[in-house]
Amino acid sequence: MTERKVYSKLGEALAKGEFILTGELEPEKTCDLSHTIQEAKDMAPYVIAANVTDSPLGIVTINSMAASHIIQKEANLEVIWQLTVRDVNKLGIAGMIMGGHALGLRNILSLTGDHTALGDMSESKPVFDLDSATLVKLVREMVDTGAINGHEIKHPPTLHVGAAANPNAEPMEAEILKIGRKAEAGCEFIQTQVVYDLDRTIEFLTEIKKYKVPLLLGIFPMKSYGMAKGFDTFVPGVSVPKNILAKWKGIKTDYSTDKKMQKEAYDQANYEFFKPFITELRKKNLLAGIHCMAVHYPRIFPKLMEIIKS
Amino acid sequence: MVVITTKKPTEEVIEALENYKIKKLAIVSCGTCAALCQTGGTEGAKEWNDLLIEKGYEITAVIVSEDVCDNRVMKKDLRKIDDEIQESDAILTASCGLGAQSIVKVLENKYPEKPVLVSNNTKFIGMTERIGRFYMRCRACGDCYLNYTGGICPIATCAKGLMNGPCGGMVDGKCEVGNYEKDCGWVLIFNRLKAIDRLDLFSRLRDARDWSESGHQQEVVFR
Ligand code: SF4
Ligand code: SF4
Repeated sequence: MTERKVYSKLGEALAKGEFILTGELEPEKTCDLSHTIQEAKDMAPYVIAANVTDSPLGIVTINSMAASHIIQKEANLEVIWQLTVRDVNKLGIAGMIMGGHALGLRNILSLTGDHTALGDMSESKPVFDLDSATLVKLVREMVDTGAINGHEIKHPPTLHVGAAANPNAEPMEAEILKIGRKAEAGCEFIQTQVVYDLDRTIEFLTEIKKYKVPLLLGIFPMKSYGMAKGFDTFVPGVSVPKNILAKWKGIKTDYSTDKKMQKEAYDQANYEFFKPFITELRKKNLLAGIHCMAVHYPRIFPKLMEIIKS
Repeated sequence: MVVITTKKPTEEVIEALENYKIKKLAIVSCGTCAALCQTGGTEGAKEWNDLLIEKGYEITAVIVSEDVCDNRVMKKDLRKIDDEIQESDAILTASCGLGAQSIVKVLENKYPEKPVLVSNNTKFIGMTERIGRFYMRCRACGDCYLNYTGGICPIATCAKGLMNGPCGGMVDGKCEVGNYEKDCGWVLIFNRLKAIDRLDLFSRLRDARDWSESGHQQEVVFR
């Protein structure tokens, strides 16, 4: 293997093997990013970088390349630009990769994207010219060879590219082999879907270890019982364990009169659940870091840092 | 192989006839694919005939042709009702979109002024399970992958037509599109390749589709 080149803080930390934390930002259907920028500022002291989503669930939001650029500049936080293959063809995406670099973006997370049929503009044409693996391959071709289809790029982009994995997927073997393809395409890091099932996660991560791609585990600390319940109900394929739901419900009722105490109890409960979970996986040497997908919950980051540092 | 069609809403067809100010028309119905889909054939032709007469239209001729989409057959069949065509304001087809265009083509020199209208929506190239159950299993992509995907088409059975699935939208073998009721095409491919002991093919990283030839008008001309 050739020596790993470094284009971003994320790339540098991964190359050094530092255990890292990344966050997630979800710009909305708006042209004003001040809320997201504030959230980015709040998490900036803790995370090495934050993902900026690309119209999740097919619900249209401000363009993720523009949002990534603005957030990176205004909040002074490195971003991981989520780029789906849903809306733009290969030619358009190649242009965006150059454009993204020119705007200062240095990390891409390659995603398929939720189908247009699911969202609020279902009349749109679903493009899917590339898929998440061939997008990884395209980025690597442009970065490593400085050319597209053999045509030279005058000033080629320099970005890292990662991809997603889903430890909850069933059949798991199909998902594992798919990660193999992404690795072959040149994927430099993986962020997983949210997990709660430790045994399953261990099995999955142990299997994909052979592909030697640094892995950031997706977690979703739950800010409230409503959040936990909502996540359990509305996120397909991921269920929040019953004992967690019961515990969170208990916090909601026990501290209904004291919001401050309630917040502290939720934060503590998250700490108590995720600490052994993460520690166990780290002990087994399966993780390069944590990707925290809880949006609008920056208060949890100091607690997560405690877990990471311990 | 069948070109699968469904009927347009009657009002939409009537609106088109009114829009073209049609009073007299000939009906050409397909006796093959559209007959199977119950959007053409003898019954479809009779249905349109009765309905349009009831609505005050004059029907000059009704024919059921075995190959509306074949210019040669259409030329022959339309010649038989040439007088009726001549006095018609338009031709209504109970076939697929190919059938309608075949008629446009055949009549383009003799009757360039006659509109040819459609009564069906053409859906896809379908596989027949039984009458009334048709499934899109090929999108005629022009470069068949079936030898590498266990005989299951990734383009037609995957909602996103992905070359490297399954995507993150798969839950327990089902697809995110359509409320997790349809099978994920890539899980079908996985199961099939596993059954024939060719998961090596599943593991392979496939390139994106090459649209350079198929992204525009297509023809096969060999003589
Ligand atoms: S790959 Fe699918 S769409 Fe393409 S020709 Fe084969 S069956 Fe048809
Ligand atoms: S769930 Fe399966 S069939 Fe549906 S879009 Fe994803 S890969 Fe394709």
